Amino acid sequence: MPYREKTAWLSLIAMAVTFGPYFIIMAVEARPGALPGLRQLGLFAAAAILQALILGLGHLYLRRSSPEDARIPPDERDRAILNRSLRFAYSVLMVGMIVVGCVMPFNSSGWAIINAALLAIIAAEVVHHGVIVSSYRGQS
Amino acid sequence: MIEGSLSNRIRALRFHNGEMSQAELGERIGVTRQTIAAIESGKYAPSLEAAFRIAHVFKVPLGEVFQWKPKTTR
Repeated sequence: MPYREKTAWLSLIAMAVTFGPYFIIMAVEARPGALPGLRQLGLFAAAAILQALILGLGHLYLRRSSPEDARIPPDERDRAILNRSLRFAYSVLMVGMIVVGCVMPFNSSGWAIINAALLAIIAAEVVHHGVIVSSYRGQS
Repeated sequence: MIEGSLSNRIRALRFHNGEMSQAELGERIGVTRQTIAAIESGKYAPSLEAAFRIAHVFKVPLGEVFQWKPKTTR
C-alpha cells in the first residue's frame, strides 16, 4: 500500500473515532439552550486533542515502520491524486460554507452554526482523504 | 472525440532487460514502485515526459512501450 494511502486511511480513522462521536452527541443532545456552551466547547476540545494525538502517534508509527517510503517525495501520480482530491473537497467546503454563511444566520444561531461549519470542514476532509484512498485503490 | 484504449509492454520490457524490478525502473524515471505498478496494469496513464523516460531506460522508441488503439465504431 502506498505511504500516502496509509496516511489518508489514518486521517479517515482519526476523524471517524473523534468527530464521529462528537457529531452523534451533538445530534442527540444538542437542543437550543439544553447544553451550556462550556460543555460543547469541552467536547470539541476533547475531539480535537484526541484527533491530534491519533494523527501524531499514527504518523510517527508509519514513519518508523516504513522510513524509506516516508522520505520519497510525491511523484506525478501522487500529485495528480492530491489535486483531484482537493478539487472535490473544495466543492464540498464551498457548499458547506454557503449554507453556514448565507442560509443558517437567518434561522439558526450559536453552536448550531459553529457545528454546521465544523461539519462542513470535516465533510470536506473526509472527501479529501476518501478520494485519495479510492484513487490509489482504483482507477487514477 | 475519438475513444480508445492505452496499453503497454513495460512488464515484457522489464523481463528482457535483466528482469528489472518495478522499484529500479521507478527510481530511474523518478516515480514510486506503486506508480510503475499502476502504469503496468493500465490504472494510470503517465505524463508524456515519464513515458519518454521509460522508453529511454529501455532504449526503445515510445511506440514500443505504449500503444493506443482507437475503438472501432460501426
